[in-house]
Amino acid sequence: MNKQTEFVLRTIEERDIRFVRLWFTDVLGVLKSVAIAPAELEGAFSEGIGFDGSAIEGFARVYESDMLAKPDPDTFQVLPWRGETNGAARMICDILLPDGSPSFADPRNVLKRTLARAADLGFTFYTHPEIEFYLFDGEPKPGEPPVPVDQAGYFDNAPGAAHNYDFRRKAITLLESMGISVEFSHHEGGPGQQEIDLRYADALTTADNIMTFRLVMKEVALDQGAYASFMPKPFADHPGSGMHTHLSLFEGDRNAFYEAGAEYQLSKVGRAFIAGLLRHAPEITAITNQWVNSYKRLAGGGEAPAYVCWGHNNRSALIRVPMYKPAKGNSTRIEFRSVDSACNPYLALAVMLSAGLKGIEEGYELPPGAEDDVWSLTDSERRAMGIMPLPISLDQAIAAMEASELVAETLGEHVFDFFLRNKRAEWAEYRRQVTQWELARYLPSL
Amino acid sequence: MPAADRQETLSARLRKLGSRDPRRTSSLLESPALTALLNADDAVDDLGLAADPDLAVLALSKLSETPSGARIISSIAQDADLRASLLPVLGVSVALGEHVIRHPEQLTDLAHRGTGPLPDRHTLRSDLLRGVGADPYMLEPVASVTGNEALDALRVEYRRHVLSLASRDLDGAAGMEQVGRELADIADAVLEAALAIGRAELPADSEPCRLAIIGLGKCGARELNYVSDVDVVFVAEPLAGGNEERALVTATRLARSVINACVATTAEGTIWEVDAGLRPEGKSGALVRTLASHVAYYERWAKTWEFQALLKARPSAGDLELGSAYVEAMLPGVWSVADRDDFVTDVQAMRRRVEEHVPAGEVDREIKLGPGGLRDVEFAVQLLQLVHGRSDVMLRSPTTLTALEALATWGYVGRDDAATLASAYRFQRTLEHRLQLRRLRRTHLLPDDDDELRVLGRSLGLRVDPAAELIAEWKVHQREVRRLHEKLFYRPLLQAVARLDSGEARLTTEAAGQRLEALGYLDPEGALRHLEALTSGVSRRAAIQRTLLPVLLGWFADTPSPDAALLGFRRVSDALGATPWYLRLLRDESLAAQRLAMLLGSSRLATDLLMRSPDSVSLLARDDELMPRDREALVSEALSAVARQDDPVEAITIVRGIRRRELFRVTSADVLGLLTVEQVGQALTNITAATVIGGLHAAVRSVCSSREAAGKSAKLPTRFAIIAMGRLGGGECGYGSDADVMFVHEPYDGADPQDASEAAFELANELRSLLMTPSTDPPLEIDADLRPDGRQGPLVRSLESYATYYKRWSAGWESQALLRAAPLAGDPGLGDRFMALIAPLRYPDEGLTDAELREIRRLKARMEAERLPRGADPTLHTKLGRGGLSDVEWTVQTLQLQYAHRLPDLQVTGTLPALLAEVDDGLVDAADASVLRDAWNLATRMRNAIMLVRGKAGDSVPLDVVEGRGVAHLLGYPPGATQQLIDDYRRVTRRARLVVEREFYA
Repeated sequence: MNKQTEFVLRTIEERDIRFVRLWFTDVLGVLKSVAIAPAELEGAFSEGIGFDGSAIEGFARVYESDMLAKPDPDTFQVLPWRGETNGAARMICDILLPDGSPSFADPRNVLKRTLARAADLGFTFYTHPEIEFYLFDGEPKPGEPPVPVDQAGYFDNAPGAAHNYDFRRKAITLLESMGISVEFSHHEGGPGQQEIDLRYADALTTADNIMTFRLVMKEVALDQGAYASFMPKPFADHPGSGMHTHLSLFEGDRNAFYEAGAEYQLSKVGRAFIAGLLRHAPEITAITNQWVNSYKRLAGGGEAPAYVCWGHNNRSALIRVPMYKPAKGNSTRIEFRSVDSACNPYLALAVMLSAGLKGIEEGYELPPGAEDDVWSLTDSERRAMGIMPLPISLDQAIAAMEASELVAETLGEHVFDFFLRNKRAEWAEYRRQVTQWELARYLPSL
Repeated sequence: MPAADRQETLSARLRKLGSRDPRRTSSLLESPALTALLNADDAVDDLGLAADPDLAVLALSKLSETPSGARIISSIAQDADLRASLLPVLGVSVALGEHVIRHPEQLTDLAHRGTGPLPDRHTLRSDLLRGVGADPYMLEPVASVTGNEALDALRVEYRRHVLSLASRDLDGAAGMEQVGRELADIADAVLEAALAIGRAELPADSEPCRLAIIGLGKCGARELNYVSDVDVVFVAEPLAGGNEERALVTATRLARSVINACVATTAEGTIWEVDAGLRPEGKSGALVRTLASHVAYYERWAKTWEFQALLKARPSAGDLELGSAYVEAMLPGVWSVADRDDFVTDVQAMRRRVEEHVPAGEVDREIKLGPGGLRDVEFAVQLLQLVHGRSDVMLRSPTTLTALEALATWGYVGRDDAATLASAYRFQRTLEHRLQLRRLRRTHLLPDDDDELRVLGRSLGLRVDPAAELIAEWKVHQREVRRLHEKLFYRPLLQAVARLDSGEARLTTEAAGQRLEALGYLDPEGALRHLEALTSGVSRRAAIQRTLLPVLLGWFADTPSPDAALLGFRRVSDALGATPWYLRLLRDESLAAQRLAMLLGSSRLATDLLMRSPDSVSLLARDDELMPRDREALVSEALSAVARQDDPVEAITIVRGIRRRELFRVTSADVLGLLTVEQVGQALTNITAATVIGGLHAAVRSVCSSREAAGKSAKLPTRFAIIAMGRLGGGECGYGSDADVMFVHEPYDGADPQDASEAAFELANELRSLLMTPSTDPPLEIDADLRPDGRQGPLVRSLESYATYYKRWSAGWESQALLRAAPLAGDPGLGDRFMALIAPLRYPDEGLTDAELREIRRLKARMEAERLPRGADPTLHTKLGRGGLSDVEWTVQTLQLQYAHRLPDLQVTGTLPALLAEVDDGLVDAADASVLRDAWNLATRMRNAIMLVRGKAGDSVPLDVVEGRGVAHLLGYPPGATQQLIDDYRRVTRRARLVVEREFYA
């Protein structure tokens, strides 16, 4: 037993923890939880807790369903909203097969495998997500439009927004108490829309943090009689909720994207990484934007990127290279902007990394950057500049992913196959829907 | 005495003393500068103390030319003690000789060697620190010199101590272990002095820090070589209340200067490499970390071998308190490493790494890395420590020899084995020390020229034929190590179950269980029971098995199922133990024993076949015995067996026995990786063909005699032929394939059609019952379901009836099935006529109409939807799954149906030959074809592997843990890579499916 496991067991005893929640994530990015009593924990550490994998979206078929959830002691956190006495704690699990080998169906393992590949090339992958979401008044009721908690806008701190000021303060306190550092938070553009940015961390920690973050936001909102939603585009007329993600690679202690004196201080590695992300962007979009609704956000114009291009401080580009801060070589990074808050963070970070690494391995050339607002260009102008659109629907994204060896290799064939089947089914179901918009538009005249 | 005579005498004397160039040496000795020596009593005789007297005299001659040369030579001439400590060094070490010539003042040390106490850690540390002008009593000593001046001073002082040690080493005053300890102490002192130099060179405004240098590897274990990389890690902390980031900057700067101070080459040469590569994240990690950062890394990221390196960690220089805190924090991890999930896999990998040797050209000269070399001993000892050290603190010494002794004392290895191993280790280490002393270079290769070997041999005290004696002795030790390396692991397991009480400590049952688990045995208790049964008693068999098993247990551990291998071995031994050749074979033919171990632990099918006739073990000894026999040989053996027996049942028993033997041959060769998948397919097809042909002859005999008994003519009224279909026709049978056939007959002119038809039916039925009746040999299923009307149709038809049927009824799928038809047995003329009859069906003149093509595609699409068993994963079903066999075969066959009439090279029955022809004819793109071929080959290999592992056929890639591991092993995957295999299988077949959708459906 190592020190961390000892620490966990001791803390549980000292803080009178009554339940330990073992968390893991299904292939679609939904958090799953198994509660166990502290007495079972030692066994869970050494052998894992058995469960029926066929009950989890994307894990297994019925006849191969025995799986084990094995908690990672480094992720131990007391759940702060459960109170000081008779508390609960959580740990994030790896999913194993009965022989103890990692399951290829576990999204966390997909990311771990991709990180291992980066490590083989000498890189560690650091990320920093800016997570947007909406706060609504109470739980949404089917058939009724959701009501945002306020009517404020970007960075507003108007009296009407006091409610969510309090919300953010409470939420951030909880996050910090769970060891998740918050870099920044503010009111976003839409009514009731929030943005909270998490501190730079290695990609596995980031993905674990995003999963925790989404739950904490929902818990805090419930506590205040509100409802937090990460749906990519709840309102046609207000901005969607994205998750712009800053990415950088480190070689040991050195930022591999940084090169003093280069254009934007961007090294050859950094340029090739961007080139990789750009070339493979259409293929990975089904993962970074995995719902029918995700494409409504991408169609929204403004800051939502719908075209494959990069720019320096260009907020309409898919990839933005932020302003370089002198004397901070280690802060050189790029911002990937299509991904939304409702993705599976493990898979999304894995495909982003994989696309970038491909660019490095194959030595892709970076195309020229775009300095214009790409939304304001005409189709022909964009074509002339070699700027391709991202898939405009889940259907197109599925088709692009289907033909992608890169995504298949990154996800592993099991997740690749399940994901495509699931998304095809989602698209097929969506196609059969008759929407409000159609009724309003056609019924009066046709 | 005339000068010439005296010269002669001196030369002769020198030759006796070991000189190789007495003329030159004697003339040097006779030069005026050395005459003092020549005139002293015994001084010349003492030259024999030097391994290379010529070298020693050369050094003396150079020494005499130094400013105080005359005085030095005269004191050497007068002082026998000085000669005894100096001449051995000058006679071995070119490098130390040069040093003495540069610094003759250091000879004083040697002159007074006998009087003072041996240098201990503290004196060494003080000496080296004073050498660079630092005060050893300061908490953090600082050098008073810097730059090259400091580095030179460090080197001179370092070499003074090496000189003194070498002198005691060579005259035997210091044993091998003492030498290793003292070299490590000198290394610590050098690091301390280097750190003092680093402190002197720090910028004034540096943040203060605490820095500890941890010795790892041989330095940590205090068993250092004269010249090897000194493995270290650096740990630093800020002072209380200090700034951590800035303290680490200082510490990193200090660490860099320590490394540089040792590595840099100056006028006084270099010391040794300091290797900090064992630190967290290796070369790409930070050079210096805080204690907390080290701890975090090891708890989270470190691999098994990294813990193995920590086994020898020791605070070496710098802040010893911090160093001790580091070691204390790390040790618990080292001793719990055996609990880690991947420990067993890692240990296997590490064991294999030991056996992966140095480049072939150097194997003969490698002392350290070659088979039976130093690393073998060190590795074996460390592994045993990791396995048993968790529960037994007595085993935790970092030093190889001490640990080995503890392992023996507490019964983890045999006492005699440990003693033999220790003496081999001592010999090899001493050899390595002498080798490195020569030029103070890092080497563990024996020299390849005889003069050098001779000097080396003489330095070890060998005098008769030093070079040859040296090699001979080294080889003996090497062989011992090689042999014992495995026995260290396994022999004690036998002692754990032995009833004999030798009075020696022996492995407890619990420790034996731990060891078996670490070796990958899932059921240690069962394993110990088998071991007990195999080795108990006083029979010759038990005695031989006691010597065989230590080696076999290691081979079993390399298979996916060591438990099954041990059980299988017990069963084979129970069956054959009394047979004299069996144990002799295993004892004398280690290849056969190794192969047996591999078969038993990897293949249920091979084990089952072997159990039915254990004497097949004899095939394993030779490669050519394992090569499949060709079809002619098999057929003629089957036919002559049938001819020898009057009774058809007796005859078929022999034929089926031949089949079983041949199946064992092929399964063995396949498991051992001697055959390609095509060769396996062909070999299995040949075996089936010979069996059917033999069976038909027996059936003819049986039918004839029953006709006779019924009063009919003994002569058959009809010609009879068997047509191979499916995989049998295509020459690509698998282990699980039935024999797909069709029966055709053709009445002789004038025969009664009714009688002919009855006779043909009887023949077909008799053949099936002969081959399928249960017996101790595996049955061969005869499947005639591809015949017209399938199971509803008559089993046998006349040629004429086939003609009528095909003219009127034939369905598309029948044409497709007929693509693989080939005559197998019976009347050759009839077979040919049948082929001619079906040619227009399978190679239709106009190819396929659009409607026919559509129909084939629809049929295939429906099959995919309907035929796949409920619950089966389409991505893992080898036959009907996506990109599986049927996808590839339908694609290939549809093109054959379309084009074979005008492209005769498509008129072949095998899937891959047909695909190849389609590429040649431009019908399939070469890249697409290679995707299809990869998928077909992988699916076929998978099906064969499933059958080999389970002993029964299966269509889906097994998800069961044990079977999956077995299949992965047979397909060449390393342990623990089952999920990788499944992922690869899905990938290869997914790609094939993309081609099928383009080529077949579009």
